[in-house]
Amino acid sequence: MNELERRDNGADLHPVGKNNQLTSLEVYDKYGAMAYGIILQIIPQPHLAQEILVNVFSSPQLQACNSYPFSFAVCVIKLARAKAVEANRKLMSIAQDGTANTFIKGDRSPQVIFDLAFRQGFTPDEVAQKLDISKSDVLKAFHDFFKSYSNS
Amino acid sequence: MDTKDFIESGILESYLLGLSNEEEKEYVQQLILTDQGISDYLIDLETNITGYFDQHSSPPPPEIREIITLRTTKSDIQKKKHVFNQNSFGQESRKKDEYLDIEVNDTYIKVHKYWRPAFIAVFILSKIFLIAGLYFYFKTASLEQELVKLKTEVQLLK
Repeated sequence: MNELERRDNGADLHPVGKNNQLTSLEVYDKYGAMAYGIILQIIPQPHLAQEILVNVFSSPQLQACNSYPFSFAVCVIKLARAKAVEANRKLMSIAQDGTANTFIKGDRSPQVIFDLAFRQGFTPDEVAQKLDISKSDVLKAFHDFFKSYSNS
Repeated sequence: MDTKDFIESGILESYLLGLSNEEEKEYVQQLILTDQGISDYLIDLETNITGYFDQHSSPPPPEIREIITLRTTKSDIQKKKHVFNQNSFGQESRKKDEYLDIEVNDTYIKVHKYWRPAFIAVFILSKIFLIAGLYFYFKTASLEQELVKLKTEVQLLK
């Protein structure tokens, strides 16, 4: 897998690279494009997205990924998404028109559910309420979403 | 709930994407430690999720890297300053650590401030010499013409 692959016993979930901690620039070189892609999915304006990208990679929270129990990539995904969703919320509160939160009513496909939760920043409970389904259906949709991706 | 049902429930996806609540997080963390099947599945899931987002990646402009370099260097200096203040009786080598080697990529050079009047003086003198040169050139040329004219007149009188 990668340099942060877990140890073989499975129980020890600390990253292998713990002693050899990655710097912000090394992480950026490796995952910058991926993080930028995620931010652009949430905030399609390139200038704002670039500002958030800088914020992600100069954030002290990034160093916490060195002690994150899973791969660095997943930690970067979470951090980039969290920062972009936070910025998007601020933008929406300024605009107050809710145009970005549009979705086709009645469409409960895993793609739509994933979009609402990951890109638009709703919690699984809020998504369930919006689509009038149970929370377990929302969570199951996440599984189906990544399953369909791995099968394709 | 057996392992298969748990995997299909999507709680693990929600956990990895940071969408789960505290209760679910604790539950998953406990299960990871006790259930080898779930632990193994998480490794595949991480690869799968990373692969998905890798597919949607977009290279940022190169300037972003420089901005991050500057910002991280600045925060490193602040951190070091803080440590230095705490250990003010540290060794001389610690003072050396306060200086960071940074690579500055710009097209400017710095010169001494006396270069400005020197440059202005050279510029004004060059203009004066140019004007004087042109004046004497044209004056010489007109005198030569006059001389030729006078010589012709003298020859005609002879």
